Amino acid sequence: MLRFIAFLGLLAWPFAGQASAVDFAHQIVPILKTHCVECHGGEEAEGGFSLNTRELFLESDAALPRKAAESHFLQLIQSDDPDAMMPPADQPRVSDEQFALLSQWVNEGMRWEPGFSFGKPRYQPPFRPRRPELPHTTGNPQHPVDRWINHYLAEHQRPALEPASDSVFLRRVHLDLVGLMPTAEQAQAFLADTSPDKRTKLVDQLLADNLGYTEHWLTFWNDLLRNDYDGTGFITGGRTQISRWLYNALLANKPFDQMVRELIAPPNKESAGFINGIKWRGTVSAGQTLPIQFSQSVSQSFLGINMKCASCHDSFIARWTLKDAYGLAAIYSDQPLELHRCDKPTGQTAQASWLFPEIGQIDPQANKQERLQQLANLMVHPENGRVPRTIVNRLWGQLMGRGIVHPLDAMQTEPWYPELLDYLAADFQDNGYDLKRTIRLIATSQAYQSRSESVQQPDATVFEFQGPNAKRLTAEQFRDIVWQITQSAPSSLDAPIERGIVAPELAKELSFASSWIWGSTVDNGAPAAGEKVLLWRSFQLKKPIEKAVLVASVDNAYTLYFNGKKALSGDNWQQLQVTDLTKQVKASGENQIVIVAENQGSSPNLAAAFCALWLKHQDGSVERIATDDSWSSSLKIPPGSGKNKWQPKLAQLEAEPARVLDSSVWKNNIDPQIGPALVKVATGQAFPIRAALLKADDFMRTLGRPNRDQIVTSRPSELTTLEALSLSTNEKLMAELQQGAQLMLDLELPPNRLIDHIYLTVLTRYPTGQEKQLVASHIADQADVSSISDVMWALFMSPEFQMVR
Amino acid sequence: MDFEIDPQAPEAIVRRDFVKRLTAAGAAALASGAPQMVYGDGLKHPEAKADACILLWMGGGMAAPDTFDPKRYAPFKNGMAVNDVLSTFPAIPTAVEGIEICEGLENIAKVMDRGTLIRSVVQPDLGSILHSRHQYHWHTGYVPPQTVACPHLGSWLARVLGRNNEVMPAFINIGQRLEGVGEKEELKAFTTAGFFGSEYGPMNLPFPEQAASVVRPPAGMSNQRFSNRDKLFRSLVQESSLKEYASDYQQESLLRSMDNAYRLLSSKEREAFDIGQEPPEVQAIYNTSRFGRGCLLARRLVENGARFVEVTTEYVPFLHWDTHANGHETVKRLHSEIDKPIAQLVLDLEQRKLLDRTLVIIASEFSRDAIVEGVPGSIAADQATHKVDRITEPKHYGLHRHFTGGTSVMMFGGGVKQGHLYGRTAEERPLVAVENPVTITDLHATIMTAMGVSPKTQFDIEGRPFYVTQDGKGKSVNAIFAS
Repeated sequence: MLRFIAFLGLLAWPFAGQASAVDFAHQIVPILKTHCVECHGGEEAEGGFSLNTRELFLESDAALPRKAAESHFLQLIQSDDPDAMMPPADQPRVSDEQFALLSQWVNEGMRWEPGFSFGKPRYQPPFRPRRPELPHTTGNPQHPVDRWINHYLAEHQRPALEPASDSVFLRRVHLDLVGLMPTAEQAQAFLADTSPDKRTKLVDQLLADNLGYTEHWLTFWNDLLRNDYDGTGFITGGRTQISRWLYNALLANKPFDQMVRELIAPPNKESAGFINGIKWRGTVSAGQTLPIQFSQSVSQSFLGINMKCASCHDSFIARWTLKDAYGLAAIYSDQPLELHRCDKPTGQTAQASWLFPEIGQIDPQANKQERLQQLANLMVHPENGRVPRTIVNRLWGQLMGRGIVHPLDAMQTEPWYPELLDYLAADFQDNGYDLKRTIRLIATSQAYQSRSESVQQPDATVFEFQGPNAKRLTAEQFRDIVWQITQSAPSSLDAPIERGIVAPELAKELSFASSWIWGSTVDNGAPAAGEKVLLWRSFQLKKPIEKAVLVASVDNAYTLYFNGKKALSGDNWQQLQVTDLTKQVKASGENQIVIVAENQGSSPNLAAAFCALWLKHQDGSVERIATDDSWSSSLKIPPGSGKNKWQPKLAQLEAEPARVLDSSVWKNNIDPQIGPALVKVATGQAFPIRAALLKADDFMRTLGRPNRDQIVTSRPSELTTLEALSLSTNEKLMAELQQGAQLMLDLELPPNRLIDHIYLTVLTRYPTGQEKQLVASHIADQADVSSISDVMWALFMSPEFQMVR
Repeated sequence: MDFEIDPQAPEAIVRRDFVKRLTAAGAAALASGAPQMVYGDGLKHPEAKADACILLWMGGGMAAPDTFDPKRYAPFKNGMAVNDVLSTFPAIPTAVEGIEICEGLENIAKVMDRGTLIRSVVQPDLGSILHSRHQYHWHTGYVPPQTVACPHLGSWLARVLGRNNEVMPAFINIGQRLEGVGEKEELKAFTTAGFFGSEYGPMNLPFPEQAASVVRPPAGMSNQRFSNRDKLFRSLVQESSLKEYASDYQQESLLRSMDNAYRLLSSKEREAFDIGQEPPEVQAIYNTSRFGRGCLLARRLVENGARFVEVTTEYVPFLHWDTHANGHETVKRLHSEIDKPIAQLVLDLEQRKLLDRTLVIIASEFSRDAIVEGVPGSIAADQATHKVDRITEPKHYGLHRHFTGGTSVMMFGGGVKQGHLYGRTAEERPLVAVENPVTITDLHATIMTAMGVSPKTQFDIEGRPFYVTQDGKGKSVNAIFAS
């Protein structure tokens, strides 16, 4: 049926409006700056006329919005009278074209950039640290944040904040600090706990969960540092990850100043991906070369400065100039860097410099590594208050839903409470740039633990603090919680990291490169399809062991026998398999690994086998027995072999040395899996995979995970229709919910208790009587996977679940 | 499908009138620093000539001399010089006297009198050809990399014009897989609403024959159960202890979106996604390929109020139009895949009286040539698979270099002149545009103008103006519009 409704132009336009022809920042400001501001701007107001702000402009009756013909300043510009004309007769004239633009601008109502002034900006953020004294205030609470907030509320004549309920706090603090939900049991225990300091204890307990903390905050840092496991640029080698470095930094709570140093002046390639940006093949505009990307990234991530305007032309709305942007870029540039204005060369060469010379400057003569080092030093200089303010503001924003300075990337904006920001930043700086300390400081405050406010108008120009703002679950949080509740997390991860809480030495031990072998047929090219080869090796233990873990992968299929017993088998070479053999390894005598490997397909194709037995001795030393040229191979497979005794049969075979193969395809796939697989088994830890460790799939993208091609520091706050559609029909999600429903049913609880349990698990609270009744009548007498998974879906989709209040 | 619209389907949870429901999408974007359209009353949007747009995308570089801009035909001869190859197909007449296109496009030739053929679109020289960079440029108007995530053309239309039909997603993208193909990340970089946020992003339907499943309840869920589940959701929301936050903008938007989704999933428009409902004889015409079936789906979606639909032959490096070797044979196949579906799409729209208000565009990121890579004088590296001077095997025969100096774009309906030719390329190599060259920026301005959007439309993003055409400088080629 035809559904073209003719509301085009009616319906669409209320928000579309009509576009302006004149652009204040790019077209009007330059004219006024060239011809007028010298005498009528800044401190100057000749003839009593200042055009610093729109208000001043109008106050002096120099202009009438929408009436160019009656606007005095335009009449003066047009005047022929040498005594009256503006600019004065000895100055260059305003061109006809410029005059037309000014007239049009007036006729369009003299649109002005909000907050813009030709004079000094209204607010100049301090650069150096400030250490304000804690104020005295009603009740003088112990907690410094609450001292400030109470003082603030009193000053603004606002009522005291109301505390959030235990269950609201419980959910909020779990999601904010580790990105997961408390289990029903944890929820019950916390709700029942009557000790007065239970909230603080919980904060400490969650922050001590290094793995949970790391794998939740990884999302924030990946966004901030534009790091991902997949994305533009990787295809042509124009980009590298900092994943492993970042993961370990968070795991160890590496001081932020140290992180900044290692990101800006990378000691090795592990952390170099941040400053090296994304290189596209071919030519790119002057505003996106690697040095300019460096300038923009460093400014945005650490200083909360948007250098994007200034990397094309002097910013019209902030104090940053083309020279500033190129000065930073020149720190990174290998070659002399020519300034380009709006993509056109200017003939000037940039001199390496940074933005706040009051505490020191870059030596432009120094080499690149030294320049980067100097910049790193300036960024974490004790007199640099901007970097700490920028990061603590981001942490506040993460926990409270909105920064003390908003937006987070515009640190030149006036904070709603400068003293609070100064205090938090100084506390952070004076205590070793300890990220967890600041998070704890905020999370243990009454302010954080109070009821969230209901925001009716996002981005209202006047903001007053009235409690935390609700946050939407991130794509990663949503995936994690659903996986947590339904126990359906994926089994492998994409991040090239050693997962888990592992001592660095152990992590190193557990990560190694794979080595691949096959039989002698590879001497003549790719082995035939269907070819089977026997690969084996024997060994004796030198010392008693504490742990033995075996990993293996074969292209295409295999069965692996250890001491005559089947230990592993598989037919997907991309998935490394792992098993614990501690109990099977014989302390004395011969141990034997035998692989029956098979090539598949319809024509000759590459085939290879890899396995490694990782042995940890009781004295702490480590040994590895991996496929290499010491292995034997045979193309004859003894019939009926495998079930038990190999040894006698193998001895009768004509063995040839195995051939070692070299292919990056296998290595690229398998090597990153070795460390995580071993950690899981070797340390006895089996943590579900978290979404932050995975490449973004279509579903996560729909839920707002950004393409990390640019730095994006805030996630969408609202649910879109396409997301709702996905959430309503996504088959993967439905399968997960069914699995979760089965888990609920497996508990074999009476209907009443079952509903309690579902609510506690999904919403961290008990249902109300009315809710219980609604759910009960939905389930009716059919508590099965369908009905329970539908109840879970309804709760997962509820605003209460989708938002962190 | 026998899904009935549930007569008891509850009303919207957030009771708002229809206008507000739609503008709410705009309000949603205002949240948390989302870009805002810059208001002003200086310039008017042009009057829309079309309400909907279908972009038929020839991903990989469609060679104009082998499709819409035939040159001297040089049939395959063993030993012939590559230099002698301009077109590998002979020209055929079309419904319009004076316009010839290549053999293999006989059906499109018959509907040539419904559209305008532009033969002089030019691309910038990016120093090295990376398809996805040129595709990014074509689809967003900006050459990557950019400091902000640029919205796709379809997202601009979705953002500025909104939906044509309250339940139908405004921007639907058919035929391109975004996983499992080369340059997938580069494709995702522009297959996005960018800074507008995903409300305006594409609904991706890589397989047209499976599109219906996207707007159906999940497999295994009966319609009864689907509507019961929704009812439970609504009643629990009503009962929620969060009622005190009822006016919270985030909560409102969430409920509104859930509501929109349910409305589509229980609407009759969702049937539009099911091409299986077309009569077999119609399906047969379109059933040349995934692209052909995509054209049929696009027609059904536009009939039901989609604003912007893209159908692609799919970009996969070295496949389809990306002919680095064996170009002639590959293009012969592509002719047979696109010819009937495109012509039928034009005829179907016309028969339904939709063609006048639907702009159908056939385009590609650039053209191809047997010799020249990029444009004459470019430093771009030669990427042909077989670098030979003489053609000794059929696989050498074809246009294997990427050419950015003159590309054809075909437009039907949507207010463009009928049977019109605009621009011209040289008759001998280099086959550059020699008359009325049209840049991507101006092409964008033309499309926007047809859709009733000023090329100077701007949004404020991170304190900087961002325009629908590059820097607001696009100039519509008004000569192609019927008055």
